[in-house]
Amino acid sequence: MNDERDELIDRVVETLAEAPPVRSGAVARVLMAVRAAGARRVPFWRRAAWWAEDTNVSARAAGLLIAASLAVGFVMRGSVSDLGDAPSTPVATDIPLQSAANRGAESRMMPVALVFEQPNATSVAVVGDFNGWDPNATPMERVGAKGPWSATVLAAPGRHTYAYLVDGATLVTDPLAPKAPSADFGGDASVMMVRTP
Amino acid sequence: MTGLRGKLSQTLAVHREPVSEFDPTLPIRAKRGDEQAFIRIVEFYYPRCLRFARNMLGSEHDAEEAVQDTFVRLHDSFSRFREDARFDPWLFRILANRCRSLMARNRRHRSVIEYGELPANAAAEPEVGADWAEEVRVVLDSLPAEQREAFLLRHVEDMSYEDIAVMTGAGLSALRMRVKRACDALRARLTEVSHNER
Repeated sequence: MNDERDELIDRVVETLAEAPPVRSGAVARVLMAVRAAGARRVPFWRRAAWWAEDTNVSARAAGLLIAASLAVGFVMRGSVSDLGDAPSTPVATDIPLQSAANRGAESRMMPVALVFEQPNATSVAVVGDFNGWDPNATPMERVGAKGPWSATVLAAPGRHTYAYLVDGATLVTDPLAPKAPSADFGGDASVMMVRTP
Repeated sequence: MTGLRGKLSQTLAVHREPVSEFDPTLPIRAKRGDEQAFIRIVEFYYPRCLRFARNMLGSEHDAEEAVQDTFVRLHDSFSRFREDARFDPWLFRILANRCRSLMARNRRHRSVIEYGELPANAAAEPEVGADWAEEVRVVLDSLPAEQREAFLLRHVEDMSYEDIAVMTGAGLSALRMRVKRACDALRARLTEVSHNER
């Protein structure tokens, strides 16, 4: 039995394959729903197993390493408390959503949909304090051949500064957002206010 | 150029092309807790999932609900995703299950409010001369759910029978039969409409 495609079925498929219009902010609403359902936590031992897979460490070596880490942590637990009033300045890491210091912030992160009109650009990325101004962290996707560029970022509630990086070289502020001086940016950057729902 | 502008111009020697292809490492990264990877998955798959759900359910509102539920469940169950498995069938299995649940809910709802005005697409036969796309949807809605699902997955979502079998749990022969029956029904109901349009 074959699929028996013919001209009429091809026409039906062509009709049904048309992408329905995606309403503005739909992706952000999905991410809000995911957030509301609760952030997922991956246990430490599972992360360690993944790390061992990625780095081709043998199971035995990985097991020994994990056991050694746990033992050192257990011993150090007593000595760390002896540091007394040592300052506990939070330190930003390369993987903010996974770091212990940022777990509280992770649960508060809110998705923000950004749309930017730049019809002649070949690439656009969002840079801002929420992604460490990393030009590779949040590339934008084009909607259609000459449509607007869009991306969704996660940002903690509060005030954030950002800009768009066009064609990998030109920094442009968001024409739809207010501007304010930013020391990180080295001039006036766009400002967004992220609120909790 | 001061501050970050200067740093960026130094670090951006490589020109970045916009990402339009699906990065196959995204599901693995998302499984490991990379939220940005999960966002990229949602952005990439949302339109396709919405298309399948709308074709299955015949309602934009229900389709949006099904797709949103699907991504919530996907996020919750990523820890069970096998890294050597293909992502599409896994995602669409969740989506197809959500669509079935919504169809069952709607059937129950309809049985309660059976009287009153019938929905516009409740006609058993398409009206000759009406819009082609509308006719296609009316006939599609009239197919049994299993046939509609198999037809959409095979021909509109372009999935292999093997992937559909993994998704639905149905055998290959049964799936081929469902697709054939769907094609036969579409042909029988739409041939005349197609001729009248030309």
